[in-house]
Amino acid sequence: MQREEIRQKLIEIVRKEKDLPDDKLALDTPLADAGIDSLDSLTILFAIEETFHISIPDDKARSIKTLGDMVNVVEELVPQQ
Amino acid sequence: MNRVAITGLGIISPFGRGRDAAREAMRNARSGVRRIESIETSALNCRIGGEVPADAHQGSFKGFDRFSRFALIAAEEAGEQANIAGAVDPSRFGVIIGTGLGGCETLDAGFRRVYKDGQPRVPPTTIPWSMYNAAASAVSTHFGAKGVAYSPVSACASSAHAIGQAFEAIRSGQADAILAGGADAPLTFGIILAWESMRVLSVDNEHPEGAARPFSADRKGLVLAEGAAVLVLEAMDHAHKRGASILGEVVGFGITSDAGHLTDPSADGAARAMKLAIGSEEIDYINAHGTGTRANDATETAAVKSVFGDRAYRIPISSTKSMHGHAMGASGAIEIVSSLVALNDGIIPPTINLNTPDPACDLDYVPNHAREGRIRTFLSNSFGFGGMNGVVAVRTIHGL
Repeated sequence: MQREEIRQKLIEIVRKEKDLPDDKLALDTPLADAGIDSLDSLTILFAIEETFHISIPDDKARSIKTLGDMVNVVEELVPQQ
Repeated sequence: MNRVAITGLGIISPFGRGRDAAREAMRNARSGVRRIESIETSALNCRIGGEVPADAHQGSFKGFDRFSRFALIAAEEAGEQANIAGAVDPSRFGVIIGTGLGGCETLDAGFRRVYKDGQPRVPPTTIPWSMYNAAASAVSTHFGAKGVAYSPVSACASSAHAIGQAFEAIRSGQADAILAGGADAPLTFGIILAWESMRVLSVDNEHPEGAARPFSADRKGLVLAEGAAVLVLEAMDHAHKRGASILGEVVGFGITSDAGHLTDPSADGAARAMKLAIGSEEIDYINAHGTGTRANDATETAAVKSVFGDRAYRIPISSTKSMHGHAMGASGAIEIVSSLVALNDGIIPPTINLNTPDPACDLDYVPNHAREGRIRTFLSNSFGFGGMNGVVAVRTIHGL
């Protein structure tokens, strides 16, 4: 799966949880600054795992601070074709 | 000791959203029991309940369990009526919302994924949405109420206990105002199945509005229901100082335990709770617990007689559960709010579906039609499984 495709899907997932404008969803915007609290993050991680059929280990989940971090983690865990 | 005024009332119930729907139902003896539509019921024997109509709550307060959303809707209405926002020191503003079963919808959906759909995990919102204090927390956050806050859990007496404890907290000076009430949303597949197993449900799927028949000899049991009701309780002086309208007054609270059987009620425990609530008040109406089960109705009738003697026959007593069903921990609050809006309008709520007199239940249950009358002070009875009893004494505007 291409990086851009992952990014688009992640934005879709985040938007399902929080209705955010584009400028809040830049790759380097801290999720907390976009109004995504700890419980929102858990719900988003859960949806990511379901969508991509992956399991994100706790230490990796804790390291996610931005959308860019999310893309990196998913890219790493999604089986490469 | 502070006197405790009622300055706001909010309710969402099988009658719909708001006080007006409840008042109209009380006046017109209208049932809110219907075929359950919010879940698939084909595998259940019981397909009826006091379900809150979808259009009464859909779209309100996203991101909570159903019971918390009901609590928020009811609290919002009560808070608006009392004009309470910004009127109380946040540290002296509290929330006490009781519940019998908490976030049933969340638990049911989460575990269904695992046990039925074969998914390995449940959503991360499962704990914070289903916990019993989730509704109280949501209401506290919504109002910025930072004082006393918790959730009594005592089955069907939960919200009577919430209102009673709020009364005590304001009386003793612990808070200036408290949003007090109850919320429950038990119409889930698993919970209905669990009640079916107890064999206390009235299952008249073809005639839902006639299924709840408290005090009638042909009663078959209780009808499960859902909803929430919240009162703004406020120190009388505080309410007077800010010019709030006074809708009533809480004047007594009785709380007892049967210390007997887990599910069989005791007339003694109920009677002691009523006596504690009454104190020196003259009671002229009783909103009964009146579940429509064989065990409750005769026991409650005996308890009323033991408290009031011959006068019991001259006190109108009704079970509004005949109309809204049994909303578990929310019942006491739903009954106090429904009664008070009707009584303040000079209407005594009826017990509907009272078709066949029962020799063991021979009081004046205000059968089938509302009655006009000026009630000054009434009792609201709530007797929960576990033998836990809560009775609240309320003065209407006619008694102020």
